Amino acid sequence: MLCQNCGKREATTHIKRVVNGETSESHLCAECAASMGYADVFSGFGLSFGDLLGGFLGETPAPQNQLGTGSRCRKCGSSWNDIVRAGKVGCADCYRTFYDRLQPTLQRIHGRIRHTGKAAGSAGTHAPVQEKTAEELREEKIEALRKQMNEAVAEQNFEQAAKLRDEIRGLEA
Amino acid sequence: MKKWYIEKGDQGDVVLSTRIRLARNLEAYPFPVRLDIEGKKKVCAEIRDAVQSDGSNTFRWIDMASLTPSQAVSLAERHLISPEFTTDRDGRALLLTEDESVSIMLCEEDHIRLQVMQSGLALEQAYDIADKIDTMLDKRLQYAYDERIGYLTQCPTNLGTAMRASVMLHLPALDATGRISSLAATVSKLGLTIRGAYGEGSQARGSIFQISNQITLGITEQAAIDNLRAITLQIVQQERTAQEQLLKNEAEIDKIWRARGVLSSARLLSGDEFMELASLVRMGAARGVFNLSLEKINELIVNMQPATINAANGRNLTPAQRDAIRAEAVRTAILTQGDDNV
Repeated sequence: MLCQNCGKREATTHIKRVVNGETSESHLCAECAASMGYADVFSGFGLSFGDLLGGFLGETPAPQNQLGTGSRCRKCGSSWNDIVRAGKVGCADCYRTFYDRLQPTLQRIHGRIRHTGKAAGSAGTHAPVQEKTAEELREEKIEALRKQMNEAVAEQNFEQAAKLRDEIRGLEA
Repeated sequence: MKKWYIEKGDQGDVVLSTRIRLARNLEAYPFPVRLDIEGKKKVCAEIRDAVQSDGSNTFRWIDMASLTPSQAVSLAERHLISPEFTTDRDGRALLLTEDESVSIMLCEEDHIRLQVMQSGLALEQAYDIADKIDTMLDKRLQYAYDERIGYLTQCPTNLGTAMRASVMLHLPALDATGRISSLAATVSKLGLTIRGAYGEGSQARGSIFQISNQITLGITEQAAIDNLRAITLQIVQQERTAQEQLLKNEAEIDKIWRARGVLSSARLLSGDEFMELASLVRMGAARGVFNLSLEKINELIVNMQPATINAANGRNLTPAQRDAIRAEAVRTAILTQGDDNV
């Protein structure tokens, strides 16, 4: 099929729009699509970067303690699944609600999880991020030690591994 | 008033322009993805009031829905807005300074996308302007911000500084010698990305590429800018060396002169042909093969885009009409240049 706009090149971009129930289709070549403002044609047409990001987010297993209540943002109503599906966050409060679940994703995207740049001034909001509970911190610590222990075993450093094992037992008690 | 893109800036033989873009959102409203048109209009009005509350007329207000498609796409061709911003225009607005160096897209992916453009390599200057406007807005609006993860943005890829710094580069010699893909692989390891002139997924017409920082969380604005600047200077040096190598070849010099010949005599010039030839002529001008001002070529590259020609003529032209208008404008521009090398 040739491009509907220039009639010269092969149409490679097929756009189907449904507006108020009326369907319209256009078939364009890459150049005409770009010049008509569809350069970023994958956005809004189902194959956006958001989907890739959704894939990113979707890989994050939901921690046990986050299932059940509180799994929707109280301000905009987004669920974690909504965010994963759209690859987009609903509002500022979503970041606070799903802060823990977002950490692995942020780590993968940016390699870091802590802001160091310009800070919003006094007019900016500083709504507190939910602090982790003592229980969560303890679990994290155990998880980190367990990882170190496994590494020590893999390196056949059994003395170190035993030390770590005792430390884990102490925390679990 | 002279538009910003007509000047030739620092490293202007290779660097066309510098852009700093800051994303900001208002704490009180959901992000645009969860706003209907009415909600978007409210956000736009609140930001407009904040911008204009000091009674200054620095910014022109443009309701995106009031533009013709050509006018909207022309703004994208001039890089004042993103291509995406031209598609669903209801509930979106643009604030634009007279010289077009500062534009603020409202309700694009984020409530606020503040963008500063400068010619040549001018990252510090551009950031300085953006930072001042941002600080002014911060005093008048409640930004969505979190001490741990910085400015909150609709897409987590922008969290942190929410700053995207980019430079637009003309890399005809690296492109011709097939070195862009290896360059792309290298810069991606350094937290930067290189792509076509019109952003994600766009083709690099006329060997124009943009390189920008990818990472925004855990890095300061200054560090990101320094990083980009250092890499850009290296690429500029590589491109210059590659151009000099290329132009040792008589056949390449011939190609450049022929390109100039076509541009100064063609009666019909398609957008693609123009970009291809203008790229060669620009390289010739940059390396002193002949006397032709880079400013002139830069201006043509911006003004000869299809929707910009439509918008300038106030109507939708057929491709053939446009090709004729383009050929005439290019011919006139090239022939009126003084030249002592012919």
